[in-house]
Amino acid sequence: MKNPPFIYHRPESLAEALALLAEFGDDAKILAGGQSLLPVMALRLGRPDHVVDIGRIPELLTLDAGPSGTTIGALVRHAEAERSAAIATHAPLVAAAAPHIGHRAIRTRGTLVGSVAHADPAAEMPAVCLAVGATMVAASVGGTRLIDAADFHEGYLTTALEPNEILTEIRLPAWPGDAGGAVVEISRRHADYALVGLACIIEVGDGSITGAALAFFGADSTPVRVADAEAVLVGRPPAESAFAAAAEIVSARLDPPSDIHGTANYRKHIAGVLTRRGLAEAAATIGVTA
Amino acid sequence: MSTEQVNVTINGLSHSLDVEARRTLADVIREDVGLTGTHLGCEHGVCGACTILLDGQPARACLMLAVQADGAEITTIEGLADGDEMHPVQRAMKEAMAFQCAFCAPGFLMSTVALLEENPNPSAEEIRKELSGNLCRCTGYQSIVAGVETAVRLLSSTGTAGVNQ
Amino acid sequence: MSIQTSGLGFVGQSVARIEDDRFLVGKGHFVADVQPEGGLHAAFVRSPFPHATITAIDTSEARRLAGVVAVYSGAELNEGTHPFVPFVASPGSYSPLYKPMADEKVRHIGDPVALVVAESRRVAEDAAELVIVDYDLLEGVGSIDKALAPGTPQLWERADGNTLHDHTDTYGDVDAVFAAADRVVTLTLDSHRQTNQPMETRGTVVEVDPATGHLTIHNTSQGPHVLKWAIAAQTVSQGQLRSFWQFLRNTQRRKAFFAAAKEFRTSNAADLKKQDNAAMKGQLKKDRSLLKHLGQMGLGLLAKDDYPTVTSVDIGGGFGSKGPVAREDLPIAIAAMRLGKTVQWIEDRVENLSDGGQAREERFDVEMAVNEDGTMKGMRVDAIVDAGAYPSFPFGAHVLPGMWKVYMPGPYHVEAFQLRTRVVATNKGRVVPYRGPWANETFVRERAIDAVAAELGMTAADVRAKNMMTEHDAPSHFLTGPTIDETMSTRKTFDRALEMIDSDEIAQMKADAKARNHRVGLGIASYHEAAPGPPDFADAMSPGAGMLTKEDGRATVEADGRIVMYTSQVPHGQSHQTTYKQVVADEFGVSMDDVEINWGNTDKSQFSFIGTGGSRGGPLGAGVMRKTARQVKHQMLEVAADMLEASKDDIQILDGNIHVSGVPAHGLSFADVAGEVAKRTGVALGPVFSHAEKYEGVGNGGWSCATHVAVVDIDLDTGKVEIPKYLVVEDCGPIINPAIVDGQVRGGVAQGIGAVFYENTYYDDDANLLTTTYMDYLIPTAMEIPEIEIEHLETLTKGENDFRGVGEGGMIGAPAALTNAVSDALGIQVTEQYLPPSRILELAGVIDPD
Repeated sequence: MKNPPFIYHRPESLAEALALLAEFGDDAKILAGGQSLLPVMALRLGRPDHVVDIGRIPELLTLDAGPSGTTIGALVRHAEAERSAAIATHAPLVAAAAPHIGHRAIRTRGTLVGSVAHADPAAEMPAVCLAVGATMVAASVGGTRLIDAADFHEGYLTTALEPNEILTEIRLPAWPGDAGGAVVEISRRHADYALVGLACIIEVGDGSITGAALAFFGADSTPVRVADAEAVLVGRPPAESAFAAAAEIVSARLDPPSDIHGTANYRKHIAGVLTRRGLAEAAATIGVTA
Repeated sequence: MSTEQVNVTINGLSHSLDVEARRTLADVIREDVGLTGTHLGCEHGVCGACTILLDGQPARACLMLAVQADGAEITTIEGLADGDEMHPVQRAMKEAMAFQCAFCAPGFLMSTVALLEENPNPSAEEIRKELSGNLCRCTGYQSIVAGVETAVRLLSSTGTAGVNQ
Repeated sequence: MSIQTSGLGFVGQSVARIEDDRFLVGKGHFVADVQPEGGLHAAFVRSPFPHATITAIDTSEARRLAGVVAVYSGAELNEGTHPFVPFVASPGSYSPLYKPMADEKVRHIGDPVALVVAESRRVAEDAAELVIVDYDLLEGVGSIDKALAPGTPQLWERADGNTLHDHTDTYGDVDAVFAAADRVVTLTLDSHRQTNQPMETRGTVVEVDPATGHLTIHNTSQGPHVLKWAIAAQTVSQGQLRSFWQFLRNTQRRKAFFAAAKEFRTSNAADLKKQDNAAMKGQLKKDRSLLKHLGQMGLGLLAKDDYPTVTSVDIGGGFGSKGPVAREDLPIAIAAMRLGKTVQWIEDRVENLSDGGQAREERFDVEMAVNEDGTMKGMRVDAIVDAGAYPSFPFGAHVLPGMWKVYMPGPYHVEAFQLRTRVVATNKGRVVPYRGPWANETFVRERAIDAVAAELGMTAADVRAKNMMTEHDAPSHFLTGPTIDETMSTRKTFDRALEMIDSDEIAQMKADAKARNHRVGLGIASYHEAAPGPPDFADAMSPGAGMLTKEDGRATVEADGRIVMYTSQVPHGQSHQTTYKQVVADEFGVSMDDVEINWGNTDKSQFSFIGTGGSRGGPLGAGVMRKTARQVKHQMLEVAADMLEASKDDIQILDGNIHVSGVPAHGLSFADVAGEVAKRTGVALGPVFSHAEKYEGVGNGGWSCATHVAVVDIDLDTGKVEIPKYLVVEDCGPIINPAIVDGQVRGGVAQGIGAVFYENTYYDDDANLLTTTYMDYLIPTAMEIPEIEIEHLETLTKGENDFRGVGEGGMIGAPAALTNAVSDALGIQVTEQYLPPSRILELAGVIDPD
């Protein structure tokens, strides 16, 4: 299981990286943390002719979390986000996802943006982006393009990025004052990719749910939100009965795959279970006990 | 075959290596530097036998290209002992009779050193959680957890888990 | 225990391991660490299809790649070998002969079709991708049902369809017992395919001496002597006549051969007489070419002057998968010989998951004849094994019928038992021994007992108590043949286990669970195993098999006083280096540092057919260490008595000081005594005292027994299962090193937990392998394996050596205890061994199957 040969590039600046992609884009893969790319290469399932290592580009190290929003650059590692007090305060859904992401050694190297660009349907970060309504910033020699999270993930391991584009940062909107978030998942073993997972947000005002986001991962070829289930929550008290109503809709709406780790019926069922558990946990973070 | 220059410090010694970019850090450590204590169990980042410390943090050497380690300080299992004297974590694992075939041991040792530096007094649950990224097929893990608990005891009397470079 | 030695008492202590001094500092020497200077690396081209004929292979482009030294097609390599021949011929079985490489047909995903040798593994893999192979696809046979269905393609021309073995054994009057019983409880039990998965894969480094051509093979083999002889015998170097002529001319070789043959015949006369010739005759009837190959291989061996040295140093686990010869071992040796250079192959994990060794895919139709009061009267079982495509050499699926027939009724009174076993071939990786290869006999019996209990409205514990043998009512022999003695203590382990279960606590756990939408259940499983078993155990499996199972060992003292022991055991996690030093040091009365153990190198270690496996390391391995050490000690005491002018009975050894009791100041060291003999005999180098033996175990003893109790906690929302309690009450006799025994038990239980809740080698019905990486084959982590409580009973025997084996037991009891616990929790009868979360919820009625 040795890597196939490739031409290695280590640009020192973003401009240099973009020029390389302009030239080689169709036959190139970006290397940041490598935790998704390297296993693929070791198994020789992916054989890019060019590997563009962006690991030394200083512009990509940005981590800026504050009351007006959060910007996460392409080289921010999961471990860094996990430790960041600012992320915990201003991007609590990112903080909630961090401990679920692989094991400590993976988090040392893997990057949040890399996870989003890799687009594994069972990964946490793409669903977090979808739940908060993040904006992806794609750069190329032609300039910068902003892509809504809802439009970013197109299919299994496929995103809206063009071959000559790098996802340089993710921008998360300001975290609403009255919102609680949670990331819950069911996996076969501790820290495995989720069979189904949920990144959810619940906003409560005057004893009623004023907004909700339910973004499921592992339930389809991309992360998916269930709008009907979110809608049924609005206006109701943040209690078990509301959560159960949402759960029922979720189980009915989702069309998950069946594989050797879980049947489709199983995934539908636990998506409902996670809805109840996730919403309860999210509510608890803002002091609401269901 | 074109090569890249990689300057890396391993267990306190500087190395200047010329390596093909496609080679993993694990392979280069084992073959070019001759440190075979870091083991390959799966080569796709799941079993943890290849765990090393990269600038003090645990990383899977099979999921890094050697070129990515340029400029880094790496500690492998061979770098834990101080001459003939075992590191407290190694002594603890021996005392607790933690391992059997011990093929997984290097990865567990490095993960344990990292764990105890971060959290010198973990609960049994925390130990299991932190070590869940290292697979063992022989022991059923209980003796390894006991080894970590022994290490906690040894370290609380002698100091930190840190590695002396 | 000798009255003349004051051993320092290492046996019975959890002595720290010698092995750890090198393992814990990264100085272990595993096969991938050999890294010979200038050695070449090999990669195999493997079939991506489960079943196909090869119509063409083009290696030309691969050969041109820079760094490639040679590319061989399967046919080119097979020219240089004889086929693997069946080693175990059980009645009703046929083992197809096959050569190491696939050359006309591929029969499973991963079947090796060509070999690339290059300067590095990465270049070899690059070149492997350039080898062009044309396949004509055939239908893949991916299940037992498909293998047996009419019209399904046949994997082996000479077999009966895809059935390689079909035989029924009957004990007692089964028909009468079934007719007279009040009830017959029936169920079909399925065990799924698993794989051993040691953390270290297999590998071989073949070095060729440029001057002599001698091969030194560094290998992960659990049985290095078998590998040595396989390579020596199977690699064809010259024609038959030439071999015969060379053999006749070599007087010394000829004489040695006939002397060895005579010795073998004499010392194994009884076993040779018992051999069931019908089995081999049946095999020959199917394929006469076997005789031709045996003849050629035999002559080739006789003519050879030089056999390979096989050396296994540190091995990273095996669990049986490194016992059989790897098919790859032959082509790598041939490539090395042809190139005259060192060639190595280190298996990667994807290779290991497809053909590193698989096991346990078995189906059982069970009928239990019982009376209303819970008495078990008889058992009928129809068992089918999915053996994959190629029979493992020398041991594979064909050993299962013999083992099952002896074990299946277990430690219970049963009047009649009938077992039909079939072995079928499918397009899957091959079956190897896996930690207690026969283990499903316990799964079958213990699951069936619980089903009987449920049907009769009795508790599972009560049915066991009613039928399990006690020390007072056990007959002299099992219905299935072997002798029963005081070491058959399963009942004691069962009674103790029941004492240790707090029923009130369990009841409370069950009640509390319901409030959280959980279900808690408790399951019990009891078994016995031959470790090594009485002398008639081997015969009960297969008449005359005992001659294969003797254990060689040798004790020596060198002229300088060093104690050097030689064993045929090949430790790969069992800590023999430490435990044997404990035993020998205690026997001699010295410290452990004074004892050296030699193992793993065929030039230095003793011969064995089996090597390490089958729980032999303790009872036979340690047993022969002790016995030969004792003989040598007595030899030394004779000399010492003479030197000290005292009676042998008055001499003591304490911490290496050989002296007359009470007069330690005037003692002799080992060097003194050995030096004296060297002086008298003129021997300057090499051993001055020596004793070697082929050891069979002693007395009638040798059963290891245990009862497992599992408590499961099932989350009915998610189907996930936790194990809040797991208890093993085991009896393996006196324990050499308690910590090591505990480790073995827990490791076995962990593999049982993995088997039931996480691990499945998944082939679809067309034999496409879906579990190709560790993302899909799920080995449990520290979060999935609970604390396991162990209670030791130590029943002694009247014999001189009590050590009994324990390595396999954990995996024998666990799947049964766990599936019984799940059945109890859900109030149903579980009939399958693989219970992932979705299946749990289906069985619980929470979700429907897709």
